[in-house]
This record gives sequence, structure tokens and C-alpha cells, in this order.
Amino acid sequence: MSSQKTALYEQHLKASGKIVDFAGWMMPIQYKNLKEEVKAVRENVGVFDVSHMGEFFIEGPDAIKFIDYIVTNDILSAPVGKAIYSPLCRENASIIDDLIVYKLNEDKAMICVNAANIQKDFQWIRECKHNFDCTLSDRSNEISLLAIQGPKTFETLEKINLGFKIKDIDYYSVETFSTDDGEIILARTGYTGEDGFEIFGSHEYIQKLWEELMRNDVAPCGLGARDVLRLEVCYPLYGNELNDQLTPYDCNLKWTVKLTKPNFIGKDFLTDYKSQSTLIKLILEKGIPRAPYQVEDEDENILGQITSGTMSVSLNKGIALARINKNLYNPEKNIFVNIRGKKYPATVVKKPFVTGGHK
Amino acid sequence: MSKVVEGLKYTEEHEWISLEGDVATIGITDFAQSSLGDIVFVELPDENEELEASNSFGVVESIKSVSDLYSPVTGSVIEKNSVVEETPESLNEDAYSAWLIKIKVKNASELDSLMDSKAYTEYCEANS
Repeated sequence: MSSQKTALYEQHLKASGKIVDFAGWMMPIQYKNLKEEVKAVRENVGVFDVSHMGEFFIEGPDAIKFIDYIVTNDILSAPVGKAIYSPLCRENASIIDDLIVYKLNEDKAMICVNAANIQKDFQWIRECKHNFDCTLSDRSNEISLLAIQGPKTFETLEKINLGFKIKDIDYYSVETFSTDDGEIILARTGYTGEDGFEIFGSHEYIQKLWEELMRNDVAPCGLGARDVLRLEVCYPLYGNELNDQLTPYDCNLKWTVKLTKPNFIGKDFLTDYKSQSTLIKLILEKGIPRAPYQVEDEDENILGQITSGTMSVSLNKGIALARINKNLYNPEKNIFVNIRGKKYPATVVKKPFVTGGHK
Repeated sequence: MSKVVEGLKYTEEHEWISLEGDVATIGITDFAQSSLGDIVFVELPDENEELEASNSFGVVESIKSVSDLYSPVTGSVIEKNSVVEETPESLNEDAYSAWLIKIKVKNASELDSLMDSKAYTEYCEANS
């Protein structure tokens, strides 16, 4: 199967995007300069084409009840207009995907899923539906998505022609607007730690919005900058920190599992489950940690491995998330990352490497 | 269009070599630094280390990737450019002045099979 292109492919080429294959999509990894793109988002405003991501719609009297049953986080008691992050798990609590549920109405929600998992997720959700009174549709192919991120996002969107009037909605909120190019969904969400919006719309709408953003000097940013930004604020990435073999408890996602809910897929398993692993955050003064380098202690015990690592643009230091065996880890001992056979000292930190500016 | 300097020899892995007597100076080309993007880490061998032709002698890392450096010749390292290790971005500024290592070459004929500037320019065009 050949790789797919988003509705903005030509625009990426025009903006000197370096195109790579990502999850079956021809996506820009970076434009002119990755560092500048990261800085634009931390200090100003940048835009990412993330149209490769999937959008499912669930509608009907049981829509919210159904989503509450298939994900681990609490959807039922969240008010309409909220966005909720959650893992999607099997009965054995293994993570199928991590996603955001946008509660659009009492009987309608959109779920935004990772591009690589669209088919797997859709099939799973369809199989779970049984007697729930709702419909499920995959509208990934009709919808384009832009993430506009950075401290100056709101003031930028206030002065451009959006086709609707921008509204200062709360962080992790969502609202629907109608425009001449169809209905759009505006959400105060993102994957950078900064304030920002994600705008879901028709291909025509998003193409016009992209041009409008370019005219207003919003920096186009690629997947490379997106990965650095999310790692600096320690957001997990499916395929790296999360995967089919792990439960939410293995990936520091206990906060997304609401055992107080009456029933949801994976609840029985997680009720009695004690994880042996945890994710830790590492900073290196020298050397760049990368997956899957080994993490060792001073006595040469292998504790685990790096799940994601990079050079932090904001700190100018190597940063990483690593999954380690809790039973082997002793915080009193010095930790090292084995990079090409050499040991580089690493410091374990509690807080994210960078504090984003989102509200 | 990336810069190619006349009078140097070039490898398929995008390294440049200049030979003076039996000392070869090795660096990465403008094409290489441009493809890598922001270079943030360089690891070079220490003095007196023996290198074999076609073997990896170090790495250059950008934010997103790790690339091995390959020696086109056999010989021992007589000097490494510590400035480049300390300021990796100097490779992005001028890849031809930010040399990496100097090697005392055992057999200068190993350079004969390398590309000249004209052949390398064509090679880059075919690979871009």
C-alpha cells in the first residue's frame, strides 16, 4: 500500500517540508529548521498538520455510556464540552491506543486516535458495541486537523479570518462552530504543553486556514519538533512509552484509570494488578539518550531501557523517558545510560523537563 | 544546492578527505550536514587509535538521528578536532573548515577509489 497524503501535502512542499513516511502517511518531519520550530511553539506560535490522526464519531442515546464502558477514564460524569484523555484497553488491560474523547453533546462524542491505530481501534470498538444504542462512524478520511500551539495562539487566531469568532474556551474543552466550509470542531488541546487549539474541519476549510496562518507568519512545524516538544513535557507516545503489551499502570497512567466507575473493559484485571515497571525521567549533561539504549546503575544492574530520548532544544541537554523494573531500582544509586558501550551519567528528575504554558 | 570543494576526495557516506604527505584530514560534507539538520553531538576517536578502512570511527548526531562516521582509509589517529566535539553546530556553519580527525595513512592508494569533486557533485544530485 502506498503512503497517503494529507490535504496539505502541496503546502508542505511549498514551505520546504522534508517529507518522511510516518504510519503510512507522507508527513513533514521538519521544514527549514527544527530548533526554530520548537522555539516558535515555546515562545510564539506554530502550526502542525496532524490530519493523519483518526476521528471516530459515536452518536445516539447510549453514546456516552458506551465510550465510558470502553475507556478507562471517566467520560460519563464529565460535562458536555470537555475533552478527556484516556487509554483504550482490552479485558487484560493491555493498551490498544491512547486517545482523546471530545464530549460534544449528551448523545454525541468524537474520539481522536493515533494514525497508526485507526483500523485496529475501529475494529475493536465496533466489536465492543453489542447492545449499546448508538452508531459508530470513522470520518478520518473526511476530516483534516491542525494543531496551532504556543503562547501567542489566541491573539493570532483573534486577528485572522477563521470563518467564525474564536472563543476563549477552557483548557481541555471543545466547542462546535459552523462556517461556510462546513462544521468545525475547536478544542483547547495539544501535544506540546503550551496553550493552543486543535481545529478539526473539512479539507477545504483546513486548506484555507493553513494559507491564512502562513500569511500571518505562523511557523509551520513538523513531526520532529512535535516529538521534541511532547518529550520535553513528558507526554507519552503510543509505540514508545505505551504499547499492546503494557497496561496503564505500567506507564504511569494510573490517573487515567477510574476504578470507581461501575464497569469498564479492563476493570477486573486492573483491580488486582500490581505493576513491576515504571517510567522515569532522565537528564544527561553529556550524550544523547535514545530508544532502546539500556539504563544501568552503578553496580551494572540493567534496570530497563529508554523508551524515548532526544536532545532537548529548550534545555540543550539530553532528555529521556525510560521504562525500568521497580524492584531493581534503588534511588540511592547512580544511574547511567549505555550509549554505544560507554556509560553516560544520568539524573532522575521528578517533574517534566520543561513546564509548558498551558492554562 | 550544497557546496562541494575542489581538490578534495569524497566518499559515498558523504565524508571529505584531503591528503598532505601521509596525513589525511577527514570531515563531513556540506550535503551531509544539510541532510542531518541541526548537529548537536559529535563523538570522535582519541589520538593513537587505529582505524580500519570502512569501519565506523565515531558518530554525528542531530536532534532526530544518529549517523556513523566511516573512515575511508586505514591508519592511526594523530589528532582530533576537540572544538567540533565542544561546538557541534560548527559543522552546520562550515562543514569544510570543521574537520573531524587527522589520520596517519598506511596506504595512500586507498584514496584512489574515492570520488573527486565532479563525481561527488553528480553523486549528490542523484541522491537528493
